[in-house]
Amino acid sequence: MGNLKSGNLFILLVENLIWVLVLVAVVIFSMMSDNFLSMYNLVNIFVRVAALGLLVIGQSFTLITGNFDLSSESTMGLTAMVGGLLIAAASTGGLDWKVNPLIAIAVMLVLGCLIGLINGILITRLMMNNLIVTVAMLLILRGVTYVISPGQSTSFFPELFNFLGSGFVYRIPLANGRYLPIPAAAIFLVLMFIVGHVVARYRRFGRNMYAVGSNRAAAEAAGIDSQRVILAAYIVSGLFAALAGLLEAGRMDSATPRMGAGMIFSVQAAAVIGGISLFGGRGTMIGAFGGVLLWGILDTGLNILQVSPFWVEVSRGLLLLFAVFLDATKARYLQRVAIRSALIGNPIGL
Amino acid sequence: MNETKTSTATKPILEMLGIGKVFPGVQALEAVDLTVMAGEIHGLLGKNGAGKSTLMAALMGILPVDAGSITIDGDTFTSMNPRDALGAGVAYVPQRINMMNPLTVAENVLAGMMPVNTVGFVAWGEVYGEAEQRLKQLGLVLDVRARVEGLSVADQTMLAIAKALFSNAKLIILDEPTATLPRPGVDRLFDFVRSLKTHGVAFIYISHHLEEVFEICDRVTVLRNGRLVETRDVQDLDTPTLIRLMVGEDVKEFEREQAGAVHGDEVMVVSNLVRRGHYEEISFTLHRGEVLGLAGLEGSGAASLAKGLFGLERRGQGAVQVAGRAYTADTPDEAFAQGVAYLPQDRYLYGIVGARPVRENVTYPILKRLVRGLGLINRSEERILVQNYVDQLGIVTPSQEQAVSLLSGGNQQKVVFAKLATTTPHVLILHEPTQGVDVHAKVDIYRIVSELAAQGVGILIISSEVRELLGVCDSILVMYRGRITACFPSGAPASTPESILLAIEGGTVHVGQ
Amino acid sequence: MSGNKVIQFVLDRMIWFILLLVISFFGWRVGFETYLAPSNLINILLHASVLGVLTIGQTMCLLSGNFDLSAEGTMSLVIVLAAWLMLPIRGEAFLETGGGGWLLSPFLVVPIMLVVGAVVGVINGTLISRLNMNNYTVTLSMQLILRGLGTVISMGAIMPGTPPLFNWLGGGRVGTIPVSVVFTLVLYAVFAYVLKNYRFGRELYAVGGNLQAALASGFRPKRMITWSYGLSGLMAAFAGWMLLGRLEVSVATLGTGMTLETVAAAVIGGVALTGGAGTIWGAFSGVLLLSVVGNGLNLMDVDPFAVNAVRGLIILIALFIDAQKVRYKPQVARSKAPPAQQARA
Repeated sequence: MGNLKSGNLFILLVENLIWVLVLVAVVIFSMMSDNFLSMYNLVNIFVRVAALGLLVIGQSFTLITGNFDLSSESTMGLTAMVGGLLIAAASTGGLDWKVNPLIAIAVMLVLGCLIGLINGILITRLMMNNLIVTVAMLLILRGVTYVISPGQSTSFFPELFNFLGSGFVYRIPLANGRYLPIPAAAIFLVLMFIVGHVVARYRRFGRNMYAVGSNRAAAEAAGIDSQRVILAAYIVSGLFAALAGLLEAGRMDSATPRMGAGMIFSVQAAAVIGGISLFGGRGTMIGAFGGVLLWGILDTGLNILQVSPFWVEVSRGLLLLFAVFLDATKARYLQRVAIRSALIGNPIGL
Repeated sequence: MNETKTSTATKPILEMLGIGKVFPGVQALEAVDLTVMAGEIHGLLGKNGAGKSTLMAALMGILPVDAGSITIDGDTFTSMNPRDALGAGVAYVPQRINMMNPLTVAENVLAGMMPVNTVGFVAWGEVYGEAEQRLKQLGLVLDVRARVEGLSVADQTMLAIAKALFSNAKLIILDEPTATLPRPGVDRLFDFVRSLKTHGVAFIYISHHLEEVFEICDRVTVLRNGRLVETRDVQDLDTPTLIRLMVGEDVKEFEREQAGAVHGDEVMVVSNLVRRGHYEEISFTLHRGEVLGLAGLEGSGAASLAKGLFGLERRGQGAVQVAGRAYTADTPDEAFAQGVAYLPQDRYLYGIVGARPVRENVTYPILKRLVRGLGLINRSEERILVQNYVDQLGIVTPSQEQAVSLLSGGNQQKVVFAKLATTTPHVLILHEPTQGVDVHAKVDIYRIVSELAAQGVGILIISSEVRELLGVCDSILVMYRGRITACFPSGAPASTPESILLAIEGGTVHVGQ
Repeated sequence: MSGNKVIQFVLDRMIWFILLLVISFFGWRVGFETYLAPSNLINILLHASVLGVLTIGQTMCLLSGNFDLSAEGTMSLVIVLAAWLMLPIRGEAFLETGGGGWLLSPFLVVPIMLVVGAVVGVINGTLISRLNMNNYTVTLSMQLILRGLGTVISMGAIMPGTPPLFNWLGGGRVGTIPVSVVFTLVLYAVFAYVLKNYRFGRELYAVGGNLQAALASGFRPKRMITWSYGLSGLMAAFAGWMLLGRLEVSVATLGTGMTLETVAAAVIGGVALTGGAGTIWGAFSGVLLLSVVGNGLNLMDVDPFAVNAVRGLIILIALFIDAQKVRYKPQVARSKAPPAQQARA
């Protein structure tokens, strides 16, 4: 049995791998640069990955139920553009409707939920393949975004609208007498991950997601309405995509048709590295947060080291590859352990 | 559910009366009766194809019956669907568990009804506590915090049973639960099952391990060829009688003119083959023109041996010689090249590429021969070759271009045969060659087998159809728990179906030659 | 049963019917003389050529039961690499255009492109078949890596002015017909012929149709999967050569979004996502459909970005039809083994 114990340690390590990686990354970067561990930089990390992080939360929900949502980057772009159009003056690309920012925000969120609803219905009621549906939506929504945008971007939004993306919430006094403002985006990101974690771990809906993702038939047998659960997960994904749009539009103080294009790969990668299994039923929001953190660490760390930003993408790809490799190794290890425990007591061939 | 039931064992929880089921061309079940009492552990026995799975499928509402009725705890059904069956209290525990494997035991037990506090948040302390309580009520002690996939097989099976009981199951079907269990696991499982009898739960126990049947069952029902043979109390039976009931007095369907005769040189020599966890000390010799049978239960190692010899699985340590040369094949294409061919047990999985036409399926292994230049296939040569085999083997198909999936089971099997025959092997390994094949095709197949033997091919047949083996083999080896435990030469007085079946089930060991 | 057979027949050839319908629609809207004029038809085929070549590679992977999400990354990498190797050195100032100053001859650069493409493909195939890694995540991460490497080399700069010799494939003409169109058609013909008549094709379909049975029939699935990915990479390199030659300038974001279009085109054309079914010409019909739609909407002066939305819609519809096909297929016998023992559904 001692064998299994050390094996369990290995599994524990692999499943919490993301934190090992985060630790290693932090150590390496802080050794290579004094600026890395500064408060300013650490806060900066959060800001840079805020939008990504929100998308990852939504993606994790669907992944846990065993489904993909590849359309969330386009949902982000579309909702941001819609919000921008409603708010901005005609001179800066908007419709000149001068809509109240709060109403515009509400519209964005509802739109996000609606898109999620459409995805969910196509996938659960019309039984279409989730990969393909969300890919098609990815293209369609992006196209719609371009169509409704005046060809350029919309910009110069009211401060209230921009608050989430570029506002500040608090000020931490620093050693040298200055103050460090804490961006709302950073707080919001952490807050949302906490909410996501609470839901996933402590709400029935969350546990139902895991049940459906690990074995849909068994979940159904236990009385769980799997269609509803999956539908809800897609709505959540759409909602968070809209939140990401709001955040990003606020951060840039503008909405461009290209917003979020190409992000979906990073979203998936961060989730997978964070431990969310592509097969469903596995992974935690905390782990996903770690994945997002790692992404941000790489980004800012390489930036500080003045490495060409282009290498960042390469390193991300390599990391994902590594994570998948480990995942496959873990699966093989688990298999061998299962065989070994079955062989205990079976003396054939010894 | 509404009336209180007395827990005496005199109330039948299940009454299946006059069950009949017809598939195209085959009467799978005819006038079968099965009665199970509350609190009884009822064994269901019969050879492969006797109708056990069909009967259970009918009970679970998966297959509609053509005749008969099913009464569960007083409620009669003339037609069933899975939801009816579940609602009536029928549960099925498969051999490989089908639960939410990445989740914990507690979550599996309480899925869909997780305890929450006043604000609607899952109370994990309560979750673990309640799960533990529920299991303890059944006398089951498990680590509820452990993931299901990390449990031992015995624990997983017991958990599956517990889950069924939590869903108010009254009748639980156990399908070969001990096939992959080591002895201590079997003991724990049996203790658990026995303890549940006091709760009035009834079990249908399907197994090929006769010794276990005697250990755990109260009564036994034997099926043969889709008909009920008998239902008897276990204490009124002994192993030989039981076997006789299972095997019966059927007329032999095929009798090969035994050579017993002149066999050629050794074509395959296996010496001391060992594979950890599967088999050990496997040694035998196969001669040209000889048909050697290999009989064994699931878990005996016969199946792994067959696949290992062909390179579909690992072979382990030990020496094998084919046609006088050392045999080193680790993959099927190497096996073909060195003169060994294998007919798989599951032809849908390993035998045919269903979407492709007959012509292509037959020539897969020998395309290199039909090819010019860099790989351009000579279509006309191919067509002639395939037609040859289609005619010789009597494959019924509208044309060579027909997708193999559209042929009948027997003809699909013949296509696989044709494919193997094209490789002109020295040794042909057949794994359950007549499984899922109708009577006419069976005869055809054994005719092909004897013709191939007459041409000098050495044939190894792995099968559980003892009567068929006796009809076609020169001798039969029996494997049990990884070793060859007996040899039955054809024509010897001890080579009766009963004694062979006894050996397969682990009975008295002869050390034959 | 024959009613079913008719439905089957139509569904299998659905794509050509749709194509016909769509062409008629555009011809009617735009005017048949304009629409069916040789110059416009050539235009359609021109736009289809890059997508078409990429789709060949994707089809190879699909047929063997996999898919390749990294082909567009390979393509952009070889484009950047080629431009960098051929063009004079870039100035130091910001936004200077130019390459690495190696000034290599196209006769050297093209083979390098092809080799790089093939090698990337082989790496993909090896990771997936021998290390048992998941094809989705492997090709996804490869995509990130390749795009990243591309931007590392180009540093975001555009590199214009590729030599005429190099541009021949993408921009040259044979009489009035662009070389790339001829090349694409020839490639399709070659692949179609090989898949139908060569052992390689048989093995590919067998592996995609039932990997275990293919293994037990003496084939080598791992090798075949590696080959299919290698070919996909090679095709991506050809597509890159073609695209760069046509545009004559390397831009960082070339080819975004084409991956999904190759999958869509193949699926529209009848190539099954599960492997083992479909034809190369079928995939071509999917490519044609997407190009025809793009071209037609263009002629109708539709906002170019709306065109993308329409293409997405087409994908959805095509897949819906694909899902329906399963319903009308004749009943396939099911394996007798209990579901838990079936390794592959």
